[in-house]
Amino acid sequence: MLAFHSRLRNKVLLAVVLTAALVNLWAIFRAPLVPDQELAQKIFYYHVPLAWNAFLGYMVAAMTGIAYLVSRNSRWDTWSLAGAEAGTIFALLILITGPIWATPIWGRPWSWEPRLTTTLVLFLIFVGYFMVREFGGYYEQSSRYAAVISVLGVLLIPWVVLAVTWWAPEVQSHPQMEMARQPKGILRVFLFSLLSFTLILVHLIAYRRHVGQLEIRYLTMKAGGINA
Amino acid sequence: MSAWTVFLKDLRLELRTKEGFVTMLVFAAAVILLFAFTLGAEPAPLRSFTPGLIWMTYFFTAVLGLLRMFGREKEQDAYSLLLTAPIDRSAIYLGKMAAFFVLLLATQVISLPLFWLFLGVPLLASPLAVAVIFVVTDLALAAAGSLVAGMSLRLPSGETFLPILLFPMLTPLLIAGTKATGAALEGRSLGEWDFWLMLLITLFVLFVLAGTFFFDYISEQ
Repeated sequence: MLAFHSRLRNKVLLAVVLTAALVNLWAIFRAPLVPDQELAQKIFYYHVPLAWNAFLGYMVAAMTGIAYLVSRNSRWDTWSLAGAEAGTIFALLILITGPIWATPIWGRPWSWEPRLTTTLVLFLIFVGYFMVREFGGYYEQSSRYAAVISVLGVLLIPWVVLAVTWWAPEVQSHPQMEMARQPKGILRVFLFSLLSFTLILVHLIAYRRHVGQLEIRYLTMKAGGINA
Repeated sequence: MSAWTVFLKDLRLELRTKEGFVTMLVFAAAVILLFAFTLGAEPAPLRSFTPGLIWMTYFFTAVLGLLRMFGREKEQDAYSLLLTAPIDRSAIYLGKMAAFFVLLLATQVISLPLFWLFLGVPLLASPLAVAVIFVVTDLALAAAGSLVAGMSLRLPSGETFLPILLFPMLTPLLIAGTKATGAALEGRSLGEWDFWLMLLITLFVLFVLAGTFFFDYISEQ
């Protein structure tokens, strides 16, 4: 099997992703400041698209997980693993960028903001997911269990959001909502950042899936006694 | 009813050995005693964190009980025999869930008064409300726990996996159970905490559906 970036379409994808990321960085530098938040607000161009894409990655993991459970085709399992890994990287970055923003604005790094708390819960569920992948016995079993965990995790999202939001109603704050009400110069940059990070997610998932298929190929060759 | 048969089998095993029940009861009593020592002897009105203590105690107790109930199937590979029975896999799940629910509730009926005795938790402020909350939360806990225990049972080091996989998934359940219990212990009217009760019921339905659907896939050989 060829290396991922030896195919033309993947080369094009990589070029687009890199260009978009650089343009995004330039646009974020140039975007006007929000009056009362000054530079701290800039992290939202990263934070919110990361959050968007983390959940998108987890959705991919859960949906392809169902497809794997039903079809038993390991193709779907590689998609599922790729979605979960990309989602978890992004979730980890949300958990880092959120407190960085909150420290100057709210005065402390962690104030149980509902969506950040939800992300932490989901992140922990998916840490369990990777532990099952890693230590879960033979391939088919750990893949099946992982698929079930990813579906359960995604199914639980609305209930975690609901519970956490009502758990401490006094800490509710929705800075992201205000994005739409900002002047055009800010909204445009924000939307471009969203696009740029979605492209990164697509590339990450496609790349990880490719590696996953190589892994399966290696496993089958090893099982067949061929020196891989 | 094959689920009923599995339920009776697990309950009969438990009645004969009393293994899970005694383990859970002694563990719960020991934890409650430790809580009492850390919080001090003087009687205090309901502390804001006692509902949380109650549910943390029973979440840990439940993990212990699940390990006993599902670990039993590992002995002499009893689980493989159970899986060869010509019944729906979901029946195994539902039977085990019901048996564990009874076991957990029985443990609580005996150990919960210790919270009143040692920590002065006003359990009799609204006994009916407390009973309803415990039954619903236990049902949801048993539903989620049996599904995850069914998975971790088959893993090489399943005992460590169970709490790691289970606890993050139980976050909404823990929040709802704690909030509802706290409100009921303060003697507030149903209108103030029915939101949490509905969330508990929803989570129970969600976990049971997930369990009955997925148990087929996780119990394959």
